[in-house]
This record gives sequence, C-alpha cells and structure tokens, in this order.
Amino acid sequence: MKLGSLMLAGALALAALPAQAQEFSGRFLLETHDGKRVNDESFKGKVRMMAFGYTFCPDVCPTALSTMAAALDLLGPQRAEQVVPLFVTVDPKRDTRVQLKDYMSAFGPSFIGLTGTVQMTDAAARSFRVRYEIHQPADKDSDHYVVDHSAGIFIMDRNGGFAAKLGHTANAEDVADRLRQVIDGESK
Amino acid sequence: MILSRRHFIAAALAASTWPAYAAKVAQGLFITDPAKPLAAIDIRDNQGQPAGVATWRGKPTLVNLWASWCLPCVAELPALDRLKPMIEPEGLRVIALCLDRSGAVGAVNTYARLGIKNLAVHVDHERKAGEAFGVAVLPTTLLLDAQAQEVARFVGGAAWDGPESLALLRALIAGKKLEAAMGPPLVKPTANP
Repeated sequence: MKLGSLMLAGALALAALPAQAQEFSGRFLLETHDGKRVNDESFKGKVRMMAFGYTFCPDVCPTALSTMAAALDLLGPQRAEQVVPLFVTVDPKRDTRVQLKDYMSAFGPSFIGLTGTVQMTDAAARSFRVRYEIHQPADKDSDHYVVDHSAGIFIMDRNGGFAAKLGHTANAEDVADRLRQVIDGESK
Repeated sequence: MILSRRHFIAAALAASTWPAYAAKVAQGLFITDPAKPLAAIDIRDNQGQPAGVATWRGKPTLVNLWASWCLPCVAELPALDRLKPMIEPEGLRVIALCLDRSGAVGAVNTYARLGIKNLAVHVDHERKAGEAFGVAVLPTTLLLDAQAQEVARFVGGAAWDGPESLALLRALIAGKKLEAAMGPPLVKPTANP
C-alpha cells in the first residue's frame, strides 16, 4: 500500500515534469545566419543573451539589439567574449539568412541570427514562452504585414539554464549587470 | 512625458484589444509637459567634431533618431531631407541623429544610397542617445524649443514635408504651445527602401 502510494507519487511527478518543461525549457533547434544547424547545447560554455524579433519592422523598430550591443560594450572585452548574443527571428518567411546576416552585422561581429522553418521557430518560441502573432497583410502587398511578439532579453547560463529575463524597457546597464552576475557568479 | 487625453484613450483601447504579451508601442505625437532639458550626450559630425545639444540652443530644433537597420527610419529620411531647406530659413534646425554602431560610415552610406543632399551627418558617438533620451523604438523625433528642451516627441514615421507637419513645426517656431492633435499622420513604409 505504502509502495503503491509512493509509485503513484512518482508517476504524478513524472507527469508534472513535461508540463513544467513545456513552460520554459530554453531548448531550440535552429540554423544560424551562416546556415549552420545549432541547438541550445551548441553554445555550451558560453553565457547566452537572447532576443526574439524580426528585422522587417513595418512601423517602429525596437532597440533591443542596440541595448544588447551596448551591454556587451559595458562589460568590456574580457567578459563580453564569454557571452554569445543570439537573435531568433519569428518571421522566417521574410528574414532570410542573407537579410539576418546583414542585420546582425549592424550590432557587432559576435551577434548570431537564428532562423529555421516556421515549425522550428514556433518550437523555439514556445520553449521560451515567447508568443507572437502574424497579422494578415493590410494591403495587397503580401510582404507587408505586422508581427507582434513579446519583447525582452533572455539571459541563459553556460549550460543553457534560465538566468534572467529583462523587459523591453531594460537599459544597457541593467542587462550588463545581470550578465556580469551570471559570468562572475559562475567563474568563482 | 504626459500623454494627451486622446493618446491615452487610444493607448488604453489598444491595450485592451491587444494581448498582454504583445510589445505594443503607442505612436503619434506626445506632448512633453513640462518641457524637459535634453541630456547632453556626445554627438559628433562626420569629421568627428562635437555637434551636440550645446550647439542647438538659440533656435528650435527637430532631432530625428534613426539607424540604417531600421527600415521605417530609412523610409522617412528623404522627407526630412526635403524638409530641411524648406523650414530652416523659417527658423527651425533639422538634425538627423544616426544611432549606428559604425558611426558616420553607416550614416554616409545610407545618405549616398538614398541620395540625401541636405541633411548633415550627426552620430551618437557613445551610443547613449536611446537611453539618455528615453527612446525605446525608432524612428522617434524630438521637438526642442530654443533652449534645447524637449517640448514634444513623435513616435513612428511621418511625412515630414507634408502640410500637417509644416503646420506643427511652424507652431514650434512661433513658440506656441503644441497639442497632441497637431501631430502629422503616421506613415508606414509600403516597400523596402
């Protein structure tokens, strides 16, 4: 009887795990702007700073990537080289690899743009609990549509574990502070 | 910055119909009341010489924040370029402030690509404009009085050489109190510029 209830508890715990993992797993399988297939384990050993978005902003463009670049500047080269800045497009139809590569170059040589099929980017967004919605084109130009997405900057530790999420109003110093905590906290 | 009633209602409506997770930014003209002195950040011209806030005092100024990676910013630059010779003789300084990391190189290349003739190069030398001016999205255009204080800001793209914009800017030159209803219509680019 006792064993039975223990087994039941074990089964419940197991059942609960996938639900938690679904909430925020931080897993992804995507392709870099250079065409290399990568997943969350490909950056093992590096602290990751990650944002979701799209390069074709139809009316206003968030400055999250500028904030990320400025945060790396604030860290200084020694710490900055321990961080890999990643940008996942939620608009893979328009954000081609060439477009992503060109866009990343505006923010710094270490920035990596990630894309994939719609299914791959959907899965990545889900595992970071990022939600986005592609609106129907407002006009006949089918390339002119709006994508809403939840803005924010994720910081993941060297094993890909969640460390922090900063909102879209976070400034470069906030981001640099959290990065510094993760970098230095782990190297002690 | 105080939101006008009209914009507040618009923003509230947008928020109520928009999912909570969406990063929706209110666009249009916002009155900065009371006027706010602009932070004195390091702004340089294409020769690397200081060309910042300290040099803008004495007459009202329009400061457009843009970057070459921002498509709606690039799309409205030609209208600003046409505006400059129209409005400067009337007493308004027109500044396009480039936030590119590559500095003047990015600005000069974009100007060449677009055939910009009148706008001078201004770069955010230490890349602090976004934070210092409280600008979270581009394009954003700041309207300054003759004391280099922000009296209003326009979030989003506009036809800066259009009649509504000219009326707004003439009111700024005349030192009249600006109102949110004076904002020019928002313009969205219809093609990749």
